[in-house]
Amino acid sequence: MIKRIIARLDIKNNFLVKGMNLEGLRILGYPELFSKKYFDEGIDEIIFQDVVASLYKRNQLSHLTSKISENVFVPITVGGGIRNIKDIKEILVSGADRVSINTGAIHNKNFVEEAVKIFGASTICISIETLKINDSYKIYTDSGRTEINKDTFDWIKEVQDLGVGEIILTSINNEGTGRGFDINLYEKASKISSIPLLAHGGTKTPDNVYEVFSKANVDGVIIASAFHFNYYKELLDKKEIPLTGSTNFLKDKNTHSLSFKIKKLKEYLRLKNIEIR
Amino acid sequence: MKKPLAGIINISTNNILSIKRALEFIGFNTVLINEHVPIEKFDLIVLPGVGAFNEAMNTLNRKNLLKTIDQALNKNKKFLGICLGMQLLFQESNEFIKTKGIGFFNGNVENFKSFPIYKKTFIGWNKVNFSKKFFKNAEQYYLLQNKAYYFVHSFFVNCTNKNIEFGNSVNGRLTYASVVKKDNVTAFQFHPEKSGKHGLNLLKTIANNI
Repeated sequence: MIKRIIARLDIKNNFLVKGMNLEGLRILGYPELFSKKYFDEGIDEIIFQDVVASLYKRNQLSHLTSKISENVFVPITVGGGIRNIKDIKEILVSGADRVSINTGAIHNKNFVEEAVKIFGASTICISIETLKINDSYKIYTDSGRTEINKDTFDWIKEVQDLGVGEIILTSINNEGTGRGFDINLYEKASKISSIPLLAHGGTKTPDNVYEVFSKANVDGVIIASAFHFNYYKELLDKKEIPLTGSTNFLKDKNTHSLSFKIKKLKEYLRLKNIEIR
Repeated sequence: MKKPLAGIINISTNNILSIKRALEFIGFNTVLINEHVPIEKFDLIVLPGVGAFNEAMNTLNRKNLLKTIDQALNKNKKFLGICLGMQLLFQESNEFIKTKGIGFFNGNVENFKSFPIYKKTFIGWNKVNFSKKFFKNAEQYYLLQNKAYYFVHSFFVNCTNKNIEFGNSVNGRLTYASVVKKDNVTAFQFHPEKSGKHGLNLLKTIANNI
């Protein structure tokens, strides 16, 4: 099975933003520039997530989805604030291939079941945000803001029974920190999941990606900061994006390696015998 | 130079926009075909599709689009079927209920479930082993042969006529036809419109043959 390398773009008010532990958002630029760049560099898939949609009970991604899908010819998944069938339809008509649902699934499982029936399993993806406290993994909603008193592994089993096509599992502890994947989490999760599982949170080096592919049976990895900070510099040099907010973080070499490119990552994984496109 | 015109048969499936955008990207003008229309003005007719076989056949029937398809297939119009749009061109499917297809190609549509395979629903990238004769020249063949393309399906065509099989793919221990072609009609099980640059190049090779 060919492993997938997926870029995730967190969106707030039509801008690409990135934080740490799903908090402390910085504006990085126009998402359509980043997504086009990632497509040109050979990304396998792109995920757009409206990070505040669910919190403010709104959904603004369809216009952006339509703009982005003009230049991106790989699968596009869109999430954030999806609560009903109409929301899904709107996003799919705008050019997305899949939607990812988190908060909406926790509040209404019937909605997910209905969505699977209408749009097919492969169109419905469940996004799970998990926080490790002591030795237990609890799930969160609203981009890591609200704790739900539910065990992550129980929830994985439940959503599989709803018939969804895929699971995105985000480690809030590791997200945006560049400390590598929580291997234990993905090992455990992949053992109980019979549908594709995507790992998200913590990539800094190509070796982090190799580690999660070789130790846990995940189908793909989702990378945000490591790509953004890399290409941000390139896009910034070309003056293609406006300077917004502080860019001091770019000078902080400890936060992210600045030589992390899609093509290089794929070359590295191929050398390590991971099957990659 | 006038752009070629592609007619996309609209059976109200999920993301018709993707194929429209991809065709426009490689230089086509596009028109959605929602009901039966004369096909003379089109350079290419595309039958895309995601969803269930029987519902798609019902929709084609209800909108009188079978007539449009029939004319395109038989009047030597360049025709491209994608995913479900490929399966519909075969004789019969058992998806949910036994349903007759368009029957342009010989063979039936079958469920992965009845075979010893790894994934019952295949979502992701998989290699396509093209036969050399699919391409006009060796350069195209070496560029696009054995590359990964994007698939989403739980059913596949059991192609009984090997002469129409121009490419295959493997799921577990099962090898199945992922590219079929006869005269003016080409069909892919995968989505060239979602298969990155190779997918766009593949669409271009078909377009160039017009």
